[in-house]
Amino acid sequence: MRAYVLRRLLLFPVILFAVSVITFSLIRLLPGDAAVARLGAAGAQCDTCFEQVRKELGLDKSKPEQYWIWLKDAIRGDFGLSTSTRTEVSPELRHRLWTTLQLGILAIVFTLLIGIPVGAVSAVRAGSPSDYLLRFFSILGLSVPNFWIGTLVVFMPVIWWGWTPVKDWVDLTDDPGQHFLLLLLPAVVLSISGAAYVARITRSAMLEALSSDHVRTARAKGLWERAVIMRHVLRNSMLTLLTVVGLQFGVILGGSVIIESIFAVPGIGAWIVTAVNNRDYQIVQGVTVVFAAWFLLITLLTDVLYAWVDPRIRY
Amino acid sequence: MATQATELEPTFGWGEYGALARTRRWTTRFIRTQPLGTLGFVIILLIVFGAIFADYLHTSDPTEFGNDILAEPGADHFFGTNREGQDVWSRVLYGARPALQIGVGTVLLSVVLGGVLALLAGFVGGTVDTVISRLIEIFICLPAILWAMVLATSADDIPGLERGSVTTLVVAISIGLVPVIARILRGNVIQEKNRQYVEAARVIGANEGRIMFRHILPNLAPLIIVVASATLPAAILAESGLSFLGIGRPAGDPGWGADLGGKARSLFRTYWWLPVFPGVALSLTVLAFNLLGDSLRDVLDPRLRGTGAR
Repeated sequence: MRAYVLRRLLLFPVILFAVSVITFSLIRLLPGDAAVARLGAAGAQCDTCFEQVRKELGLDKSKPEQYWIWLKDAIRGDFGLSTSTRTEVSPELRHRLWTTLQLGILAIVFTLLIGIPVGAVSAVRAGSPSDYLLRFFSILGLSVPNFWIGTLVVFMPVIWWGWTPVKDWVDLTDDPGQHFLLLLLPAVVLSISGAAYVARITRSAMLEALSSDHVRTARAKGLWERAVIMRHVLRNSMLTLLTVVGLQFGVILGGSVIIESIFAVPGIGAWIVTAVNNRDYQIVQGVTVVFAAWFLLITLLTDVLYAWVDPRIRY
Repeated sequence: MATQATELEPTFGWGEYGALARTRRWTTRFIRTQPLGTLGFVIILLIVFGAIFADYLHTSDPTEFGNDILAEPGADHFFGTNREGQDVWSRVLYGARPALQIGVGTVLLSVVLGGVLALLAGFVGGTVDTVISRLIEIFICLPAILWAMVLATSADDIPGLERGSVTTLVVAISIGLVPVIARILRGNVIQEKNRQYVEAARVIGANEGRIMFRHILPNLAPLIIVVASATLPAAILAESGLSFLGIGRPAGDPGWGADLGGKARSLFRTYWWLPVFPGVALSLTVLAFNLLGDSLRDVLDPRLRGTGAR
């Protein structure tokens, strides 16, 4: 086990290096020039300013040299200056990452709080009308795009009650209560599809556990149905959920992009929408590497937890 | 061939054991055991019908500026009109076209590409497998949505692609899907490779290509259908998300995602029909594909029953 984890950890820098090389090459392969994006189409007409900006952005050097310059700083956690605003990428990345993580973790909490009970009730009452209803809602939750729900959540209360949920952003350190309230709605909206997914997984895992021998034994020895469900069925189903939760953590960024834009949450998601529109590839590169690292870490953690919870699994 | 086939109880044609009869029996059983999947299929048929015959079903040109600005839904405009006086019903109707095209296109591209990679890695093995598996591992780490966005915005600079075109979006959305699909299928290729029928085929002298395409691939068909049916709604959602952010389909063109975002959003608080109808159309389409996909999974791959694997 320890050797396995060590081997995986040793692979991290290799994979991250590959990710950064691929990211860097893909960006430099795109014929669009960051200097043009910085100057705007009109400014690009002026040859001397164009050359000057290229020099300023370090684009006049050879590509391997550019990469080397970037890598040297990146190893120390410095992702350079943004090409569009010329501000430091790293401090802003850190600040926004923290916001996105808060939103994502809150969303995962709601995902589990909604998904597990729904799936459990569905499994225990399998085949009943309530099971069908819950299953229909689960598949509906997977189908309705969260940006549409988000849009309705933002606009409908205004129409009905004249109340606007979106207010000015407040940092955690300024006003924790208000900060939490601001994150609440986007987190709930963000959790819907995950909750639907968790409900379906919980249902099928519990159905499988319900038909297993150990549950029959538990019932045969006269255990309360409640104890059977809680201690023998639900607990065994949690194993499958671990993978799902790991997956949800790994893709926190993907979900946050649109939701952060709708609810004006200043996280990574909203940031990269602007960065991509400004062709700010320095930001794109930093975010890619950070999220690749995050993804690797979460998958490793999931695997380790999995082996820890289920002793049958050995690496 | 034809006479022989009639004499020997045809495997084609209308006979009791023919392919058509088999299809008919399969269909009746599907309808009986999978009512929700059938409902999904019927909705899909209606949407496809609407998309194909949009030219006959629309009430006015979806891109033409009208005089009736922000009219409420009524007899003249079933779903009302928007800020430009365009008929929302016609826009919703025409919006089905890019959604379906991009959905189907993404499935074709990502499943074919992922499938080929999986077959190569799983079946050929050795160095090929190592290289492909490492590449999958690396590409799976890249945040898919970020790279779809980068590709969609810089499409004009890439030869052969045009910003906002169906092809661009298909490519942009497929990038993130290919490694995921390849990884799922690779595991199954390896599983199939070690089955006895492969050994049997090899014993009777089938070459590797034949084993790969005539033996392993058909046995993976149910799984591929399940993967494809899960990919399609995901692709439609991804496209609408990108269009919503203003980096997918062009804003003027009819499209569900684009109509839910953009500058018109400031009007949503007063004119409810603007966000409601495109959103319902989008959700209904994705729901229908999910219902059908779920039922297909139940029928084709009982091992995955109810897991809701995406």
